[in-house]
Amino acid sequence: MRNTAIIGCGQTKHSSRRRDVNVAELAAEAAEAALLDAGLSLKEVDAIVSGNMQGFGGVAQPELWLGDWIGAPGKPAIRIATGGTTGGSVGQGALYTVASGMYDVVLAVAWEKHSDSKEAGATTGLSHVAMANLFHAVNYGLSFKALIATIAVGAAAGVASYQARFYLHRSGCGIEHLDMVAAKARRNAAKNPYAHLQWPNCQPEDIAKTEMVAYPFRYGHICPASDGASAIVVAEEKTAKRLCKKPAWLLGLASYSDEENQLQSESYGGVGVIDPSEQMGCRLSAKKAYSMAGIIDPQKEIDLAEIYQPFPSQELIFSERLGLFDDGAAWRHMEKGETDINGRMPISVSGGVNATNAIGSSALQRILEAALQIMGKAGEHQVPKKVKKAIAHGWGGLTNYVTVTVLGDSPGS
Amino acid sequence: MAKRVAIIGYAQSHHQYDLQKTREDMVFDVVREAIKNAGIMREDLGTVITASTDFLDGRTISNVFLSMAVGAYLKDESKVEEDGTNALQYAMMKLLAGAYDVALVEAHTVGWQFNPHQVSAYTLDPLVDRQLGLLNDISAAALQARMYMEKYGVSEDHLAAVSVKNLSNAALNEFAHRRMKDVSAKKVLNSKMYYEPLRELMISPISDGCAVVILAGEDKAKKICQKPVWIEGVGNCQDGYLRDRNLFGLDSLKKAAAAAYKMAGIKQPLKQLDLAEVTERYAHEELMIYEALGLADKGKGKTLIEKGVTRRNGKFPVNPSGGALGADPVCATGLVRVVEAVRQIRREAGKHQVRGAKRALAHGQFGICAQKNTVLILGGE
Repeated sequence: MRNTAIIGCGQTKHSSRRRDVNVAELAAEAAEAALLDAGLSLKEVDAIVSGNMQGFGGVAQPELWLGDWIGAPGKPAIRIATGGTTGGSVGQGALYTVASGMYDVVLAVAWEKHSDSKEAGATTGLSHVAMANLFHAVNYGLSFKALIATIAVGAAAGVASYQARFYLHRSGCGIEHLDMVAAKARRNAAKNPYAHLQWPNCQPEDIAKTEMVAYPFRYGHICPASDGASAIVVAEEKTAKRLCKKPAWLLGLASYSDEENQLQSESYGGVGVIDPSEQMGCRLSAKKAYSMAGIIDPQKEIDLAEIYQPFPSQELIFSERLGLFDDGAAWRHMEKGETDINGRMPISVSGGVNATNAIGSSALQRILEAALQIMGKAGEHQVPKKVKKAIAHGWGGLTNYVTVTVLGDSPGS
Repeated sequence: MAKRVAIIGYAQSHHQYDLQKTREDMVFDVVREAIKNAGIMREDLGTVITASTDFLDGRTISNVFLSMAVGAYLKDESKVEEDGTNALQYAMMKLLAGAYDVALVEAHTVGWQFNPHQVSAYTLDPLVDRQLGLLNDISAAALQARMYMEKYGVSEDHLAAVSVKNLSNAALNEFAHRRMKDVSAKKVLNSKMYYEPLRELMISPISDGCAVVILAGEDKAKKICQKPVWIEGVGNCQDGYLRDRNLFGLDSLKKAAAAAYKMAGIKQPLKQLDLAEVTERYAHEELMIYEALGLADKGKGKTLIEKGVTRRNGKFPVNPSGGALGADPVCATGLVRVVEAVRQIRREAGKHQVRGAKRALAHGQFGICAQKNTVLILGGE
């Protein structure tokens, strides 16, 4: 892999309804901000990698139409879409594009404008992910009970509450700890001018007052559906050193898939995933990315993590699967404040997906936020400690897709 | 870091309409065939890249249930949207970066499930063009055909000649969908009119199909493959949106070809290449593709058809497999072109084998009026 770095970051302000822009203008807002940050004009960009979850915006292959707004015409352009991990996959696509030596400067753009559709997005209504397979399954003789259960886990909240219960049961973590994670996310978001759900000084007691939605999740635990976009500029070593004082260097990346958390589950005659908090795909992705980055002990070597946590249980689960804490121990470390902005292992200090979720963009935002911390440009939510190595995580699909990206303050080789 | 990447295995489905099995079953069969063809095991795969689109697959996160069928379980994977050649380029980049040494690339569309022409209308500008309800990929292509024909003196007979060439070639290709042994210009010109001047047999059929290629980095390829086909050049380019671009030519294809030629060291494609497999969704597109690829001067694409240069036994065969007019499983079509080019180079094309094929061009496209294009130059040793 040749030395590759992120040299520019741009994102939009996120909110429930960005009525001041259409989706093309939204994507352009992030792309322009990233180019401005990198100090580059579109002319100097060799290729574009972009993506979103087209079902939410209602436009098929939207980059064919809005490509003109992000500078695609006349350039190589690849569209990558992998569900929740879309942004992570777009970011990794851009990083590979440069690391391979194929193109020197690449712009990656990811977006979602939930308010363009009636789809409630992250929390409900994902059952059509499985619809085509359900029809086949019915043909094969799926029972009514199994059908209902399958539709229930088809939604993101369904999958996540099922997963959370496994985690709570096995680790001894309680709902009060989920309150703490959610309160932390909203407090952190208040320091991030681009975040959606900002709540200065939010306390776990504030979250605990909100209504129980689907056990173990309260209303206050759940991410919003946001309109927003993010973009990064990736460049090879020479350009990176010429243009950027402190680039965020690519050290390792991987996206291993697991079995989809549906139909095959234990109670429905399958042999597959019986504990969706197990996350073998995440463990393998981390293993590969760490070995590329030369990381032997992630607990000591990693300074900061941006974890894709639309639901608070996921910050705890994935921080363990990424090797930042021992299995089942994350909530104890979180309780001690180790994952706060000024903690030993700051996690999702931007507020993360729990505070801002423009789905197609969310996992790219993790890479972007990790880069900002390394570049020292995070502003009010910059962590006080020195960030030498940071990881960015994304998850999606039916809890079966994961992206892990390791960034550092100096080149890999 | 690998310096070069080779294709070491391939497979495709028998393209058809009204597939009688699930998407996953179709993909599984082709993937298994390709792995067998490459002489490897699933365990040898490093990374898996698939290509399809959520709308064409008729579901959100369309790759969710595909991971098992393509052999990506507990492996590095990703999904590139649109044409399979884009996925191939991404897989190639992962190998060039040195992250993995073997990659599997899969592309599919099950056309009967969700009409691709309807999907094309959803790719339009949602604020104006879609609301008007006048445009879709066929009507836009018809407008382009008329513009091109008026400007360069191309007749409907030329279009029919392209269809006759490709459909009769498809008759020899066991994997093609629309195989017409006794096709004639008269038949083409009497087929059903869709949008003037485009008739049914000048438009690619809606197909269900899948294509898979397996790639390996240089060292690995030399070790495990007897007949590697090297990717000597790759170029990719997107054009502007429909109303903001020049429709008289395929400018983005021209740029993609220039990039691929530069990488492969090709200055005179007609002399340095032996054949081309291109994605022509409409008969007139093939003429425009000739020009963009530098096989003919601007406006002179028709002369290649008039002189029979691009016939299967001509000087420079184009689409000896029948091309997209022979079968068009949308996202897989570009990858099918790659598979067909590899078959030619490895002398495994069967009845439509072209003599002396050593170096071939494969082209994939996506979008209304071929808005996005990828060109690959493939060569044996």
